[in-house]
Formats: sequence, C-alpha cells, structure tokens
Amino acid sequence: MNDFNRDELRRALRDTGDNSSNSLDAIVRATSGMNFSRSLSRRRFFLGTGATVSFAALVAACGGSEKTGIARLGNAPTPNELVEADVTDIALLRTATSLEHNAIFVYEAVAEAGLLSGDAAEIAKRFLADHKSHAEATASLTTELGGKAYTDPNPRLQSIYIEPALKLIVGDEASGIPATDDPAADVLALAYALETIAGATYQAYVPLLDDKSLRAAAMGIGDQEARHAALLGVVLNPSRLVSSFGLPLSAEYQEDTDVPAVAYASPSAFGTQAPVPVILGAANESGIRTTVNLETPSLNSMVYEYLDAEG
Amino acid sequence: MSKTPVSKTNRLTESAPPRRPTAADIELLGFAQSAELTARDLYEAALAAGAGGDHVASIAALAAHHDAYAQSLSALLGTDAPQARNDELFASLKSGFGSDTESTALAAHELENTLVVTHTDLLAQLDGTEGAALVASILIGESRHCAALAALAGKSPTSDIDLFLTTSDVESLAPQA
Repeated sequence: MNDFNRDELRRALRDTGDNSSNSLDAIVRATSGMNFSRSLSRRRFFLGTGATVSFAALVAACGGSEKTGIARLGNAPTPNELVEADVTDIALLRTATSLEHNAIFVYEAVAEAGLLSGDAAEIAKRFLADHKSHAEATASLTTELGGKAYTDPNPRLQSIYIEPALKLIVGDEASGIPATDDPAADVLALAYALETIAGATYQAYVPLLDDKSLRAAAMGIGDQEARHAALLGVVLNPSRLVSSFGLPLSAEYQEDTDVPAVAYASPSAFGTQAPVPVILGAANESGIRTTVNLETPSLNSMVYEYLDAEG
Repeated sequence: MSKTPVSKTNRLTESAPPRRPTAADIELLGFAQSAELTARDLYEAALAAGAGGDHVASIAALAAHHDAYAQSLSALLGTDAPQARNDELFASLKSGFGSDTESTALAAHELENTLVVTHTDLLAQLDGTEGAALVASILIGESRHCAALAALAGKSPTSDIDLFLTTSDVESLAPQA
C-alpha cells in the first residue's frame, strides 16, 4: 500500500517517546532506504509530508527535554516585563502638563508657519499664552505634590494626532501628502478639536484625583479650555451658537438639518468624553478629506512617574 | 517615551474617595439642582418675554441644558433632590431676563459665570466621585455657555476676548463648609 516500513516507523515513534532528543534521527532512519523515485507521486508526497508534520507535532507535544532538535517555525519575541503603573495625582498632573505642551507646540508651529492672519492669529496668540500659563500651573502643582514636572508634549498624542494633523495641513512631500486648500480653516478646526479635548481631559480627571482641592484647580483650567473651544465655535459657526441636537425642543427651535455642524460654541449640554472628529487636508481623487478623531489621553498615553526612570 | 506596556493601573486605594454622594454632598448637590432650575426658569422667562431675535433657538437650547442638568442631579440624588428652584435667586435676577436680547445675554453671561464659579467651589467640597464627575461635566457646559452668550450679546471675539475667556469676578453661590 505504501513504501513506508511500518514496523520501523512504529519503532521510531516509540523511540521518540522514550528519547525525544533523538527523534529526528529516528524518523530519518525510519524513512531511509525507501524508493523515493517510485514512491514520490504527488499524492504520496503530501501523505509523506503530512506524516512528518504530524510526527513533529507529536514530538513537540510529548517532548520533555529542552533540546528537541526539531526545527521551530518563527520566533516568539521575548515578552517585556510589565510595569506596575499607578494613576496617581502626580501622573494625572504630568499628563495634563504634557497635553498643554501639545497645544503650545501646535500654536507655535502655526505661528512660525504663518498659517493664520488677522483676528485668527490674534486669538491663537492669546490661546498660546493661556496654554503656557496652564502648563506652568500644572507643573507647579506636580512639584508641590513631590513629583517631577513634565516639560514636553505628550509623545503619544504628538505622534498619533498632532504630527499627522499638521502634515495634512501643510503637506508632506516625503509621504505624498498634498497641502490643504485652506490652511487657516483647517488650523481653526484642529484648534477647536484640541481645545475641546483639553477641556474634556480635565473633566475626566475630576473623579480620578484623590485630592479634592486639585479637582477645583483642574477644572479652573478645564473651564478656560472649554471657553477656548467655544470661542472657536463662535468663529467657525456664528449663525448657530447652541446646538439643538439631542435636546427635547419644539420643532421651531430645531435645526433644519439632520447632520450637526462641525463646530458650535455649545455643542451639547454636558461636557462629554466622546472623540472629537476633525476633517483636515486636501480632498483625495474621490473628493473625500481625512477625518482625524481626537480623544482624551488613554491609560497608555499617561505620563507616569516611572517613565522618568526609563528616560 | 517608553514603549513598555502598562500592566496595571491601580489607583492608590488607601485614600480613595467614596463613589456615591455623602450626606454633606447631598446637601451641596441639592443646592446645585435648585440653582439649575432657577437658571432654566430665567431663560424661559426671557423666551416668554420675546428675547432671542435670530438666536431664539439658542436661548431655548440653553434653557433645555439647565433643565437637563437639574434632571441629572435629580437622578443622582433620588428622593433627596429638592426639585424646586431658588425663589430668592430667581427674584433677584429676573429683571435682567427681559425682551431685549443683548441685555438678556449679558445678564445670562453673568449668571453662567456665577454658576461656573459656584460649581468650581462645589468640586472642592464634594467627597463622592459620582457627584464630582457630574458637576464637572455641567461646569464644562456652562463655561461654553459664557462664550456663546458673549457672542449673543454682540461682543467681538477679538476686541472683547476677555468676556469670552475669563471667568468674571463674581461671588460663588455655594454654601461654605
């Protein structure tokens, strides 16, 4: 029926179970002397390979020794040792400071590139000054609590939101990204989303902060971020200041559209933790522009204290 | 920044604040609900008087926002919620909420600023995190109201920028501990 010597093969398997370190040799011995020129039809080839793979799987499952001599497919990466990271008041304040530096980075980059002019440039200048003041305040609170103040933009938010967003606005030749058609409008849209997220971040920190007095301090800054966003909402959508979406209003007060505008001074009753979508960049060949969803810093975006030790 | 994943994000439990409102919190949150119902009634009074002009829908939406705040506080407080406005506060502010849109917007701007300051004060007093989280989300909404009302009052986002961005020097209404 086939050209395998079944008895020898059984012996090889038995040997393998007894001493798996010699398993490969045993299989080679079991299959040696076969008439390959006659037996290696396509069907037999597959049967033969299947048997060998089964042996390998069997040996791998049964082998007690570390050195099996069996070839391994792929390499498992060495797992990183996981750290114990506590969401302390200091970590929250450091993350808040890092977010302020993200905003500072954006407004400085925009000013340097001359993307805004007139009233919009004046507003951005004021916002830049406010964010510098907020960064100083949160850094000062961090040191008061015995922590080390963080002085850079949040690296994760910078890499997943800020840099891609700025590339969509000014273009990036190396990546084949064309510049947007209306940089000023895109900068204001990005700033609106960024300020909304900044306010939402301080709001999110309120139930996480252990020290009650820090809640009030955090929301003192969150209040200002929310006002920044609202002012930009006024600039971007002066005809409708307060959204009617989701409100139990009579028909006469509802907006005559099914889709909310991209910005409002007051988009919803409550401050939310929802992602803020911002549409940026030039349209592609289908006329579609890129949507970037900004979110508040997640647990893996926080600037934990242990990161200082790692450099 | 390190790429090391975080395995655990424990908060330090020794000093973790309570989740539900404490007895003292209930009093503070009840006060907040009365203030929100007062604000709702003031906006509704302005609407009834004919204020709003091109932005009448925004005034209606602001009234609905304050009603939503009161309802959320009610949900948190249950039977402890006062469910009534602060009549004294309403009477002291009602004259500002008339038919003229600009003057109503300025009166409302001051009211919203007062609520922002009040809620910031409450946050420093509340123990329970659920109440604090709700007040924080209301505070963000009312901060945005301030900027919207500055625009409604016809102020410029550049030459009058402080009206949009700065919490005016108003007294907190919050009961002091």
